[in-house]
Amino acid sequence: MVGEELVGLTPEMIEASQAGMKALGAGLAVGLTGIATGIAEMAIGSAAVGATAENKDVFGLVLLLTVIPETIVIFGLVVSLLLLF
Amino acid sequence: MLTPEQMSKVLIAAPRDLMDPVITELYHQRLFHVEDFVENDQEEYAGYRIGVPLEGAGETSKELIRLRSVTGAFSLRADDLDPKAKIRKSQLAAQIEQELPRIEDEVEALLSRRMALENHVKETEQKIEALTPFSEMRTDLSLLHGYKTLTVFAGTIGKRIDLGVPSEEYYSESKKGNFLVAVVPVEYRQDVERKLLDAQFQPVPVPDEPGPAKERISVYNVQFESDRKDLDEIATQIDALKSRHSEFLVACDELLSIDAEKAEVPLRFATTDHAFIVEGWVPTEALGGLIDGVTTASGGRAYVTMLPVEEGKDLPPMEYHNVSVAKPSQFLIDLYSRPKYTELDPTLIVSIVFPIFFGIILGDVGYGAILLAMSLGLRKIIKGEEGRMLLDVLRNASISSIIFGFLYSEFLGFPIPGLHPVLPTRHLNIGGEAGGHGPAVPELMLMSIWIGIAYITLGRILGMINHARQDHGSHRTKAILANLGWILVLWGILFMIWSYFAMPLMLDFTGYPPVVAGVSFTTVAGAVMVVLGILFIARDSALEVVELPTILSHVLSFARLVGVGLSSVAIAMVVNFIAIGLIIEPQLENLTIFGVLIIIVGVFVFLLGHLFNAILGLLGGGLQSLRLNYVEFFTKFYKGGGKKYTPFGMIRRFTED
Repeated sequence: MVGEELVGLTPEMIEASQAGMKALGAGLAVGLTGIATGIAEMAIGSAAVGATAENKDVFGLVLLLTVIPETIVIFGLVVSLLLLF
Repeated sequence: MLTPEQMSKVLIAAPRDLMDPVITELYHQRLFHVEDFVENDQEEYAGYRIGVPLEGAGETSKELIRLRSVTGAFSLRADDLDPKAKIRKSQLAAQIEQELPRIEDEVEALLSRRMALENHVKETEQKIEALTPFSEMRTDLSLLHGYKTLTVFAGTIGKRIDLGVPSEEYYSESKKGNFLVAVVPVEYRQDVERKLLDAQFQPVPVPDEPGPAKERISVYNVQFESDRKDLDEIATQIDALKSRHSEFLVACDELLSIDAEKAEVPLRFATTDHAFIVEGWVPTEALGGLIDGVTTASGGRAYVTMLPVEEGKDLPPMEYHNVSVAKPSQFLIDLYSRPKYTELDPTLIVSIVFPIFFGIILGDVGYGAILLAMSLGLRKIIKGEEGRMLLDVLRNASISSIIFGFLYSEFLGFPIPGLHPVLPTRHLNIGGEAGGHGPAVPELMLMSIWIGIAYITLGRILGMINHARQDHGSHRTKAILANLGWILVLWGILFMIWSYFAMPLMLDFTGYPPVVAGVSFTTVAGAVMVVLGILFIARDSALEVVELPTILSHVLSFARLVGVGLSSVAIAMVVNFIAIGLIIEPQLENLTIFGVLIIIVGVFVFLLGHLFNAILGLLGGGLQSLRLNYVEFFTKFYKGGGKKYTPFGMIRRFTED
């Protein structure tokens, strides 16, 4: 089946579609992890702002807690950069 | 450098009649951080009570509250003013007695008039609103009131209906809704009410006004306008008062605040009927001056001495002790948390590393220059100490951004002609004009990872020093070894990776021959380091072992230096391509009048795009570098939570003795 579908494709076309797939993969890696980070930071962030409003001293601590999920998108970024270059 | 200002604990004991001169001297010196006296069962303080405020404290506070209500009405803040000349205290004291009450009365009169007018405006608005539905009706509104045999219905209605009873009706249709006024004999009232209810009738009250609605509305509009004019007038009067007296008022505020603070400080002293004692902290290098000053002020009758500091029990306040270049960064540290007195103060390191990270992310000569101009220009608008510190941090960061711009060879996303980048290039292929081979992402990534490895290792070393300084006994050894363990695991993993993969910019251990079971010496060394490290960590706290993956995530987190930077370059290049490649260049090929217009649009797109990207770069570069310091660096050694050194006294800006 696969062989039949590939009939009629030149090597250049295959290469181009590979590059396209890579770009898609890289985009998905950053985009999806970004969404995941956003969702995870949503609840923490709002609680953090509330806590800071009550007591300014906890800013440093709540900032730490808020950015913990950023690891997810950083991994996504690393994967996408590795894919692209 | 990395340690705070050395503090000494001081005790002052004196007869009670010396309270005033001693307080004045301490206030004048502005060195003594007062420790609050708490009544307790301590033996040495048996019989001591909390002191009472000095005479006149109540008067001063009352005066201050009145003054603050005026400055509040002016929304006047001392930080917004630059003192021109200092007013002498004696001169000001006389003015406070004569002029201040006059100004206060004037302002209070204006404020109460303003409030009355505002209430009147609100009432008029409500009346106009109530009259508006009747505005098209020519009937005198007073005719719709006060009948015994008739009932008046007025309100909005879905659509006109036949009431089916003898009635006099007014009906109008408009976009806002259909309006109906119906007068029916009182005996049909219930019948009509039911019918109207079915037709979604919403009653409105009939205003109690003489004459037709339209006339009344114009009368009220005139009133409304004149009230508005009066309000504007009052606002100008308040503004005039503010500009005339602001300096005087701020000076009064300063003087009265000083008096109030002085009068209330005995509340923090330990007193008996005849004596008082106060404990506090003084920077060690200023200790001699303080002792001499207090002794002289009291005529030698006060007893001032240095107390030994009991470790663990006494908690000295923390004051930064940094070289002047590092001082602005204290703002960034305070934002997180002030260091404890016993802890290493990371200000100097952050003051060096923060601008470097900012430069690596936003390394662009153009953006650096824009931000530098901004940090210098905002100096005129942003006043106050913290604002200045922030602007200084921004200035340092933008200078670093310019330097890294030359190293990357970037100017608003363009390569600088003739300048070969020293660092790996970040220029992307945007717009299909393939120039070069695109960004050197692997090199950039490995560079950022090296920075991460170095910075995290430094953090752990500082952690070892902190534990060595602060802890005691077996916990101290365990904690130091645990920090060493984290370093060992990190480098052990690196050794093993280097043994199998050769990478640019990294050490290459792949060439070593295998020694045991097909693995090379470096692999074995790496594995031993990892195992040993985990053992050290687990000995201190077994739970910490769960945190091992953070080694990977924290090092990789430094990849944001490249990622955020590349995105900023990409936006800059896209702006250039759209503005120049797609809008301006095609027009230049054969120029028409219409083309000139499009070129102007192109220039506008160019400026707006780069301004937008500069602000984004400031946010991205600033926040990401700050976060790398706070999260990846500080968690390794820094706790914070120190007590701020707040010496008793005030920096006088507007008054002098």
